[in-house]
Amino acid sequence: MSSVTAPTPAASHGPGVDEQLDLVMRSRRRTELTMLIFAVGIVAFAFINVGYGLNNHLSSKMAEYLLGFIVLVGIAHLVVRRWAPFADPLLLPLAALLNGLGVVMTYRLAAQGKLLNVPMSASATTYQLLYSAIGIGLFVAVLVLVREPRVLQRYTYTLGAIGLALIALPALLPSSISGVPGSPGTKIQLRLAGFTLQPEEFAKLALAASFAGYLVVKRDVLALAGRRVLGIDLPRARDLGPILVAWAASLLLLVFEGDIGTSAVFMGLFVAMLYLATSRTSWLLIGFLLFVVGAFTASKLFSHVGVRFAAWLHPYASNEINGGSFQLVKGLEGMASGGLLGKGLGGGQPYLTTLVQSDFVITAFGEELGLAGLMALLLIYGLIVQRGMRTAISVKDPFSKLLAGGLSFMLALQVFVIVGGVTRLIPLTGITTPFLSQGGSSLVASWLLIGVLARLSDTARRPPPRPIQDEGLTQVVTVR
Amino acid sequence: MNRALKRLSLAVLVMFVVLLININYLQGFDTAKLAALPGNTRALEAQNQYQRGEILTSDGVIIAESKPSNDPIYKYQRYYPQGPLYAAVTGYDSLYSASGIENSEDSVLAGNNSSLAIRNFIDLITGKQHKGANVTTTINSKAQEAAYAGLQQALQGTSRVGAVVALDPATGKILAMVSFPSYDPNLLATHDGTTLNANDKKTLRAAGNPRLNHAINDLFPPGSTFKIVTSSAFFNASTANNPQTTVDSPTQLTLPQTTHVLTNDQGEACGNGSGRTTLIQAFLQSCDTTFGKIGMNLGGNTLNNEAQAFGVNNQSLKIPMPVTASNYTIPPGLALTAFSAIGQFDDQVTPLQEAMFAAAIANGGKLMTPYLVQNVTASDLSTVTTTQQTMLNQAVSPSVATNVGQMMDAAVQNPGGTAFAFNKNNEGGIDIAGKTGTAQNGVHNTGLNDAVFTAFAPFGNPKIAVGVIIQGGGYGATAAAPIAVQVIKAYLATLGIR
Repeated sequence: MSSVTAPTPAASHGPGVDEQLDLVMRSRRRTELTMLIFAVGIVAFAFINVGYGLNNHLSSKMAEYLLGFIVLVGIAHLVVRRWAPFADPLLLPLAALLNGLGVVMTYRLAAQGKLLNVPMSASATTYQLLYSAIGIGLFVAVLVLVREPRVLQRYTYTLGAIGLALIALPALLPSSISGVPGSPGTKIQLRLAGFTLQPEEFAKLALAASFAGYLVVKRDVLALAGRRVLGIDLPRARDLGPILVAWAASLLLLVFEGDIGTSAVFMGLFVAMLYLATSRTSWLLIGFLLFVVGAFTASKLFSHVGVRFAAWLHPYASNEINGGSFQLVKGLEGMASGGLLGKGLGGGQPYLTTLVQSDFVITAFGEELGLAGLMALLLIYGLIVQRGMRTAISVKDPFSKLLAGGLSFMLALQVFVIVGGVTRLIPLTGITTPFLSQGGSSLVASWLLIGVLARLSDTARRPPPRPIQDEGLTQVVTVR
Repeated sequence: MNRALKRLSLAVLVMFVVLLININYLQGFDTAKLAALPGNTRALEAQNQYQRGEILTSDGVIIAESKPSNDPIYKYQRYYPQGPLYAAVTGYDSLYSASGIENSEDSVLAGNNSSLAIRNFIDLITGKQHKGANVTTTINSKAQEAAYAGLQQALQGTSRVGAVVALDPATGKILAMVSFPSYDPNLLATHDGTTLNANDKKTLRAAGNPRLNHAINDLFPPGSTFKIVTSSAFFNASTANNPQTTVDSPTQLTLPQTTHVLTNDQGEACGNGSGRTTLIQAFLQSCDTTFGKIGMNLGGNTLNNEAQAFGVNNQSLKIPMPVTASNYTIPPGLALTAFSAIGQFDDQVTPLQEAMFAAAIANGGKLMTPYLVQNVTASDLSTVTTTQQTMLNQAVSPSVATNVGQMMDAAVQNPGGTAFAFNKNNEGGIDIAGKTGTAQNGVHNTGLNDAVFTAFAPFGNPKIAVGVIIQGGGYGATAAAPIAVQVIKAYLATLGIR
């Protein structure tokens, strides 16, 4: 890293060189703080908006929630300052803004919780804040404990095994523990002592790290060995192993747990990472074809998959056999009633949509913040993904590159699948909206993802150790 | 690997752009279609989240308003202070549906009519609470109360129905509109779904179908009041015809191609029994034989044209609620033409149409389009729209109108007139002109006769035209006319005419 020819600031006294070095080394923590204050301000305004929109009244509860939120993001900021001073300055504020808006929406929906098809208790907001605390706690833990992202590479197979186990667990358990009340055929959670946990949310992260570790090792053989057919480089049959395992895992999800959305996200994640590692388009094609064939077959074989397709094609049908989807239509109607500028937080009727607090939270935002607000939300997601991709490009070691690119793409894919689903762009598959949906696992896992990205971006932006060098003198190198 | 990352970033960009385009389409262009989906109750539910406009009578009585409510969900409660009295006018506004003015004028009452767009925008900027516009109707509260009281007296406790409509002949303003039996719209304004369903069923199943506006959406045979149309057609046929023209008035009229004999009501002679009498005598006495004969001479087509000139068969009349078209069918054959000329056969009219007969005559033949909404005022009390009065049709020429009016006056003022009996005291000096009708009803005319009365007053300077129909009321003069007189007196009193 160090270069013997690099002049030291002390020696050169050249202002130009000095500035150049400063530019590279700026940690931008003050930018992060400014943006964080901005994000907190928006959340505060959103709370006030909800208060006036619901009943022209601000409650002290709101102040408590807001204060709790400020304390949490404040801690996160201080931890970043201490343990990841060169982390991307936008990741934390963007995630905090989404999380804050999610808390506000939970509060707003819980205020009319009795009207919901799946009622919410008033304590939902407290829980949402609690989950935020756990999520930010994990964010902090990642920054403090994982000082160098490359150490994760050591646990490639461990993480892979953990990921697959987490996926398989709900399918193996009886549906009294893993079933989702009200949606037969769906087994995606662990219900223990009143708390529910969705292991797949964490499996996604473990598998992303595992894929990255595996592909870094195998990328050359995957990219170079093989034969060229019709202008496409086909891999060797024996190298198809890992993609078949991933495909099997995603089909397992699809068939035994009824979770098409997450299975699509898994498949997309793996294929994207394969492509990143090998730069070979054939992997994209193979992965895409495998998924489409699998999903199509499943839609013919398993009713709960077929229903999704029918609902997508004919949501307005009068009964569910013909595809009619009350939930989807109510969500669309809600977004339509919001129009361009929305009804204002607390001013709409999001409670008419089934499961508006989780899968359909985007329609609640669409209704109350309008097209303008929803576009802003999508842009926030887009910015997080962009910061992640930027990190992937600037980070130097291939494992970190793969991990950052894969995680960013997974976030984008998840947003695409759920937002596209509720807006009837693609068949609806019930997955959570990162940061916004009510519920713990998704929120905690999303923070974990941001933590890893922050750590990676810190590595990427951290300046090389400044060579302590003065011409004519003995060079002293400190090793930390 | 950076090249692949850049390509993947582009793919992500495409994904987000597709999402953005899709939500732009949904929330920017597809809103009207989604809002109009059959199961979409949002618009109706949203109405209770802000203050909906008031509905008022022309003399300032509030007949529908929104009051702040203590309900945890809905901030406002729709309230109808007068209950059943104005139900035919206001209609109701429930969580799931609406009727009457509440339905027809919904966009202004809700405040989202395009005419209010600029005001709404200013309110948005200045942070003023959204509030619907007020609708002032043409209804006169005194006339409405008199009409309701009259119908209540005649029909309370029976399962029969009736309706009164009063018009200002010169403008077409609807001064009173009552349908009986009525219902309390407050029952349907409740925010409680279970109660609403129960009340909905109860009012829909109640005797006399109170939810149907009998004044504009129910049809009755006009009976002898249709002789106004037949007379108008007779005068139209020749300028030589006038009320003093001598016409055939047989005591019995044998109908062609049948053995059926048409007689007058009690088989009495028409005029002096000579078989010939003046038209005015036949009109005031309401001789069926005379008008049956005139009808046969004129023919079904002529009667049809004349009836349509008065607004019969008009499928598109809106006040702004859609009005059921009154019906005249050209009869197949002379015998039935005779019946159709005296308001039988397939002749069917709404009570509003009855009022329009008298209104056209009273206004020199000019039939003004009836309307119920006088103006719309925004929440800042500035006028948004005012209904312009328009002529629906020149029903008859002014001279014909004078002739028919003269005969209608005679029917009430002449001691031999069918409506003289109730007018012995001359009603405090108000000169009322009118025509009674007693329509046979039911299968083979076994039902009770419907009582019909159409009138205008004062004769010299008409200010009000009234149509009354009492199902099963018996003679028009006995059951319907007194109600019309009460309405006329109540309204003229507000104008200072007594």
